[in-house]
Amino acid sequence: MTAILEAKDIVKRFGGLVAVNRVSLTVNEGEIFGLIGPNGAGKTTFLNSIAGTFKPNAGVVRFLGRETTGFRSDVMCKLGMSRTFQISQPFPKLTALENVMVSAVFGNERGAVRDPEAWSRQMLDFVEFPMPPDTRADNLNTVQLKRLDLARALASKPKLLLLDELAAGLTTGELDDLMAIIRKIRDSGVTIVMVEHIMRVIMGLCDRIVVIHYGEKIAEGTPEEVAHDPKVAEAYLGEKYIL
Amino acid sequence: MARSSVQSTIVFEVLRRLTTAAGITIILSVVAVIVSAVVAGPFTLVNAIVTGGMWALLAVGLSLVFGVMNIPNFAHGEFFMVGTLVSYLVFTPLHKYLRQNPSSVLSTVAPFAGIFAALLVGALLGVVVEKLIFFQLRRRSREQWVMNSFLLTVGLSVVMINGHQLLWGTNFKGIPRYWDVKPIDLFGVNISMDRAVALGLAVVTIAIFWFFLMRTRTGRAIRAVAQDETGAQMVGIDLNRIQVLTMALSSALAAMAGASLLFMFPSYPTVGLKPLYVAWYVVILVGLGNVAGATIGGFLVALLQTLTSYFIGVGWEDVVPTALIILILLFKPSGLFGSEVKGVWEQ
Amino acid sequence: MQKTETVSARAGRLGNGLLSILNALGITPLGLALIILLAILPFIPPFDREDLLRWLVGAALIAAQAIAFDFTTGYINVVNFGFAAFLGFGAYTSALLAVDFGISPWIGMFVGALASGGLGFFTGVLTLRLRGIFAAVMAWFVGLALLGLARNLVDITRGPMGLSVPTFLETASNRPYFYIILVMLLITYLVLRWITSSHIGLAFKAIGQNIEAARASGVNPTFYRVFNFTVQCAFAGWLGGFYAHYYGILTPQLMHTSHTVEVLAIAYVGGRGSIWGGAFIAFPFIFFIEWLRSSLTSLPGLHLVIYGLLLILVMIFYPGGVAQFYYWIADRVGKARRGSAEQSG
Ligand SMILES: Nc1ncnc2c1ncn2[C@@H]1O[C@H](COP(=O)(O)OP(=O)(O)O)[C@@H](O)[C@H]1O
Ligand SMILES: [Mg+2]
Repeated sequence: MTAILEAKDIVKRFGGLVAVNRVSLTVNEGEIFGLIGPNGAGKTTFLNSIAGTFKPNAGVVRFLGRETTGFRSDVMCKLGMSRTFQISQPFPKLTALENVMVSAVFGNERGAVRDPEAWSRQMLDFVEFPMPPDTRADNLNTVQLKRLDLARALASKPKLLLLDELAAGLTTGELDDLMAIIRKIRDSGVTIVMVEHIMRVIMGLCDRIVVIHYGEKIAEGTPEEVAHDPKVAEAYLGEKYIL
Repeated sequence: MARSSVQSTIVFEVLRRLTTAAGITIILSVVAVIVSAVVAGPFTLVNAIVTGGMWALLAVGLSLVFGVMNIPNFAHGEFFMVGTLVSYLVFTPLHKYLRQNPSSVLSTVAPFAGIFAALLVGALLGVVVEKLIFFQLRRRSREQWVMNSFLLTVGLSVVMINGHQLLWGTNFKGIPRYWDVKPIDLFGVNISMDRAVALGLAVVTIAIFWFFLMRTRTGRAIRAVAQDETGAQMVGIDLNRIQVLTMALSSALAAMAGASLLFMFPSYPTVGLKPLYVAWYVVILVGLGNVAGATIGGFLVALLQTLTSYFIGVGWEDVVPTALIILILLFKPSGLFGSEVKGVWEQ
Repeated sequence: MQKTETVSARAGRLGNGLLSILNALGITPLGLALIILLAILPFIPPFDREDLLRWLVGAALIAAQAIAFDFTTGYINVVNFGFAAFLGFGAYTSALLAVDFGISPWIGMFVGALASGGLGFFTGVLTLRLRGIFAAVMAWFVGLALLGLARNLVDITRGPMGLSVPTFLETASNRPYFYIILVMLLITYLVLRWITSSHIGLAFKAIGQNIEAARASGVNPTFYRVFNFTVQCAFAGWLGGFYAHYYGILTPQLMHTSHTVEVLAIAYVGGRGSIWGGAFIAFPFIFFIEWLRSSLTSLPGLHLVIYGLLLILVMIFYPGGVAQFYYWIADRVGKARRGSAEQSG
C-alpha cells in the first residue's frame, strides 16, 4: 500500500477561530477514505487546505510523494487532485457539457485528454447526468448540479478525488445510484476522500474513516472501529446522526 | 518589575499601531500638515480642511451606499452637481431680491435656504433613483449585482449630466460668495464666511450623522443590513425601507456638499466628476464600506491634493493621488484602514 | 444530363466549402451579407456624401472598439473602465512617433498597439488581486492618471491645445479611410472571435462566471486575466492609432471617461459576450445619434441622455441585449423550420 496523500499537522485559523487544529492523516492509493464529523467541525476547511483553496497556517501536505503545501488549486488540479464543492459551483451561463469541458481541457497537462468534448460527454454519461448535455447550468436543480460537479471533477482525470457532502439531500433511490457510481470511480483506479454525513453511505463505502470534532481529529479506523469508539459517540451526542 | 513590563507592552503596542499602514498614514499627514502650514502658509491648510470636510461628506455617502446596498455608485458626483444647481436656482433669485430690498434676516437665511433646498432635492432624487432604477433591477435579477448596479449608475450619471446640459446648458452657474460679510480672522488667517460655514456644516452634519448611525434604532438597522442582510431581515428589519433611506441619505449628503461649495464649484453639467473621483479615492484609500475611515480619508485626500497643487503644480492634484492610490491598492488591496467588508471580495 | 448534375454538385460542394470556411471564421451568411453591404455602402447615395462617410468611419471605429470592449467585459467579466485612456495612449504613441520622429503612421499604429498592450499587461497585473468592481475602478484610476499626464505634460502632448498629427493619406476624401477602418474592424472581429471561440475563450468564460470553480478545474485565472487585458488594450491602442491619423488632431479629451461610457453603452446594448453585438448596433446607433445631433442643435446633450437611458433600460429589462434577441429569433425560426420539415416529411 502506498500513500497517495499525507497531511501532517494541518492548522487553519480564521481570525481567532481555529477551524482545523493539527489534523494529520494518510490516504492510501485505491481506497475510499471517509471524513466525518458534526457540522462546523472543519471538514470542508480541511479539504480546502489540502486542495489549495487557501494556504494552511501550518502543516505539511504531501501528494503523490511530493510536497504540495500551499500550492494553488489550479496547480493541484493539474497534478491530479480534483474536488467537488459542498455547495455546487457551476459556471451558470455555460451548458452542462461546457462546464465539464473546462476541466477536461484545463484540468490536466495539455494533451492528456485528446478530444475534450467526447471525453466530457463520456463523463456526463458516467455520472448518469439526467439532462441533455446542452442544458445551461443555471437551469439545473441542486441534485443535477451535484452530478455535474462530479462529472467536472472527474473530467480532469484525477488520481485523487475529494468529495464534499455529495450525497446530501438525496432520496434513498438516488443514494443507491450515487454509491454505485462512486464504487465505479474507485474501481477505475481513482482514490477517493469523501466528507459525508449519511451513515449508510459511509458504512457502505468507506474503507477507513477519520472523525473530526471542533477542528481536531478524535478517531481513526475502519467504520466498525470508529462506530464503537466512545469518543465518537460523545461527539455526536445530541446530533441526529448517531453511529 | 511587573509595572515596567506592563509599560513596555503598552509602548510596544503603541509602536505596533503606529507602524501599521493606518498609523504611518496618520503620522505622515500630521507631518504634512505641519510642513504645509510652515511652507505654504496657513491659508493652504484652511483650504484643505474646508474641502476635506466636503470630501468626507461625499465619501461617507458613497461608502454607505456600498456597504448597505452593495452599489458602487458612479453617479455619486451627479448628486453633488444637483446640489450646486438647486442651491444656485434658489439662492440667486433671493439674492437679487435682497439687493433691492435689503434685509439682514433674509440675507442670513438665504444661503441656508439654498443649501437646505439642495439637501431636500438630493434626498428626494435619491428615493426616486432607488425606486425607479435599483429596485427594478433588484426585483428582476440579483446575479452579478455589484457589477450590474454599477453599470446602472453609469447610465444614470450620463443621463443626469446631459439632462443638466439639456435643460440648463453648459454655462457656469455660480456665485462669488454666499455671504457679503468680512472674513473671519482666525490666528491671523483670514477665512471667508463661506469657507467657515462650509466647514461648520460638514462637521455638524458628520457629527449628527454619526450619532444617527450609532445611537438611533434606524441607524442601527442600517448598520445591521450592512453587516448581514439576511440576519437583518430575520430580526424584522424592513429591507426596502432601509435601502430607500440609505440612498436618500447618501444623495442628500452629496447634494449638500455641492450646495455648500457653490462658491468654489459653479454649477455646470460635469462639475460632479471631480468630486466623484475624489470620493472614490477616499473610499478606496480607506476601504469600501468603512464609514468612519471615510471621514478621515476625506481630509487626507484634500490635504494631498492641496499639497500637490502647491508643490508640484496646478493640474497635478488628480494625478498624484491616483498614482498613490494605485500603489496602495497594489500592496494593501483592502484599503489603508481596511476591514474586509461584505461584498468587497465577492463578485 | 449527367454532366449538368456534376456541375451543380460541384457548385454545391464549393458553396458548402465556402460556408464551412465562413463558419470557421465565425461569420454567418447574414453577417457576410452585412459586411458586403458595408463594403459597397460608400458608393450608394446618400452614403457617398462626405459627411455621411465621416459618420460611417466614426461608426466603424466605435464598432471595433465595442468588440474589443466586449472581449473583456463579456468574457472575463471585468469592465475596463479606463478603456478610452488605453485607446488614447496608443493614439498618442503613434502620433508622437510621427510628429517627433517622422515614423510612418502605418508602423506607428502597431507600435501604439504594443505600447497600449504593455500598459494593459501592467494594469492586468495590478488589478489581479482585485475582484470585479475593484478591478474596474483600478483600471479607471490608471485611465485617469493617463488622462492627467496627457493634460499636464504640455511639452510633449501640447495638452488641451491639441496635437496636430499627420494623417494616413493626402486625400481629403473619407472613402479610403472607411476602407482602412473596415479592414481593421474585420481583423479585430476575426482575431478576437477566434480567441474567444477557442479553448482560451472557455477559460475566459470560466473565470468570469465562477473563479473558484475555474481554479478547481485547473484554470489559472492570473494568466488568462492578464492575457485578456493585454490583448484588449493592444487592440484599443491600435484603433487609437487610426483615430490619431484619421482625425489629425489629438486632445486629452479622447481619454475621457465619457468616451469609455459611450463604448460601454454600445457594447452592452449590443449584447454581452457576443463579440458581434456591439459592432452590429454601432452603425444604426451612431447614425441615429449623429442625425439627432445634427438636426436638433437646439437640444445639446439629448443624444447622450438617450445613451444613458438605453443603457439603464437594457440593463434592467433585457440584459442580453440585441444579441440575445437575435438568438431568440434564430431559435424560433429554427424550431419553426424543423416543425414544418417534420410535417412535410
Ligand atoms: N471562510 C471562512 N471564514 C471564517 N470562518 C470560516 C470560513 N470557512 C469556515 N469557517 C468556520 O470554520 C469552521 C469550520 O467550518 P467547515 O470547515 O465549513 O465545517 P464543516 O465542513 O465540517 O461543516 C466553522 O466554524 C466555520 O464557521
Ligand atoms: Mg462542510
